[in-house]
Amino acid sequence: MTESRERDIIRAFVDLSNELVDDYDVVEMLSNLTMACAELLNVASAGLLLADKQGNLHLMASTSERTHHLEVFQLQREEGPCLDCYADGEPVIVPDLAAEEERWPQFCPAAEAAGFRSVHALPMRLRETLLGTLGLFGEATGRLGDDDLALAQALVHVASVAIVNEKSATDLATVNSQLQHALTSRVVLEQAKGVIAHTGGIEMQDAFAVLRRYARDHGRRLSDVASQVVSRELSGQTLLEHAGSATIGP
Amino acid sequence: MTPSPSVVRTELNAAMAAAAPGISAANELCLACVGLFGIDGAAVSVVYEGASWGTFGASSESSRRLDEYQFTFGEGPCLDAVKAREMVLIPDLDAPLEQRWPAFAGAVLDDGIRGVFAFPIMLTSACVGALDLFRAGPGPLDRDQLAGALLAAELAPRPLLDLIAAGGDAELDEQGAGEGSAQLAEMDRIEVYQATGMLIAQLDVDAAEALVRLRAHAIATGQTASEVALAIVERRLVLDRDDRDGDPGGRGRSLR
Repeated sequence: MTESRERDIIRAFVDLSNELVDDYDVVEMLSNLTMACAELLNVASAGLLLADKQGNLHLMASTSERTHHLEVFQLQREEGPCLDCYADGEPVIVPDLAAEEERWPQFCPAAEAAGFRSVHALPMRLRETLLGTLGLFGEATGRLGDDDLALAQALVHVASVAIVNEKSATDLATVNSQLQHALTSRVVLEQAKGVIAHTGGIEMQDAFAVLRRYARDHGRRLSDVASQVVSRELSGQTLLEHAGSATIGP
Repeated sequence: MTPSPSVVRTELNAAMAAAAPGISAANELCLACVGLFGIDGAAVSVVYEGASWGTFGASSESSRRLDEYQFTFGEGPCLDAVKAREMVLIPDLDAPLEQRWPAFAGAVLDDGIRGVFAFPIMLTSACVGALDLFRAGPGPLDRDQLAGALLAAELAPRPLLDLIAAGGDAELDEQGAGEGSAQLAEMDRIEVYQATGMLIAQLDVDAAEALVRLRAHAIATGQTASEVALAIVERRLVLDRDDRDGDPGGRGRSLR
């Protein structure tokens, strides 16, 4: 392990644990986790899917806004490595998607069309309850090393515990309601991105940066800011003006 | 005890999502109301001009009959709720001062029901029907039941939209089941949420109305909600602002 990589890994865990100390925002935490996993493991794209109580998977966070990528993540509601991983509770490792077209006749062509060649899907679980799955999508064939997988799984475990943030959350009903809270927050965040994108005539990923910048600079939770934007208590223009002269990163 | 609003919302959505669109979804919504709010019956009436007037979905045959009394006698809390666009809450139809609907009250009381609670169902700016809750014993709804009922009335446009889109054809659940179910699933997607947000800003409406408008446009143009949403997100389509009356589908302008 190189020194800089070790530092990156330590930073990822420190960031994650720091977020969990305060009144953290579940959407932002999962979004950061997804980014951290993609960067640390050097995969092209990562998507985190959470299950609702009917067992349907919803895209909770992703490293990419590209339509083709989103489609690949969302397609796995019907079939794909992430769905299988969620169903069995075990990692699903696909070193070469081209070899699995019979297993997933819809998913494989869509993933390949989006430029992906390999997938690693890791389960998110809290004790006996499966919460969802993290999908790591690579542009090259091959499997990740055991150390890398163990690292990703460790980050996912921390996040799993954090999603259900009530210590008393031992019963399924509470777990479900926490999951629902996370999923709803995600919906509101996407809607808020839409409001900002339309108001400012900008792209979705830039709209996300505008929202995040406003939340951070005002010491507020991303979900709360998003919720106020959607309910029109906070105007999109205000956020855009705040971002104003500052350069918005990709 | 009535569960929390988020649980109520989830349960109601799940009940409708599991059913074929149209009448089946409306029936399931009513059944879920009965279970969640601890009441004795529920029904959804339609009074939208483009569709046939009458009882649409119900939790049971007896609830359907209760609801239909309003159309038989031409009076009742549901019709008043629609007219006033406000909820009409009758804790006890048998109260001495309750004289508003003599024929309706007589029939309902004979069926062993004392409490009737009607909530208007809004679709964009139009009131298209009402959700009616029935209870055998007298007494008001408590706060949680009321909150839950308002939520149910908020979600009720979904099955009604199916009916309206089908031109009032109540047999929709027999004919378009597969397609309709797929369309409901299509709503639950990232691009749909993003497009909804864009419509909130563009049309200056709330999130629920934006979603209904998007879906209505999809149905009116024979596309999936996802296709319409992508066109909006990619700025190939702009929904018109002033299509509020009588045209829930809305006119869209294609930019390409």
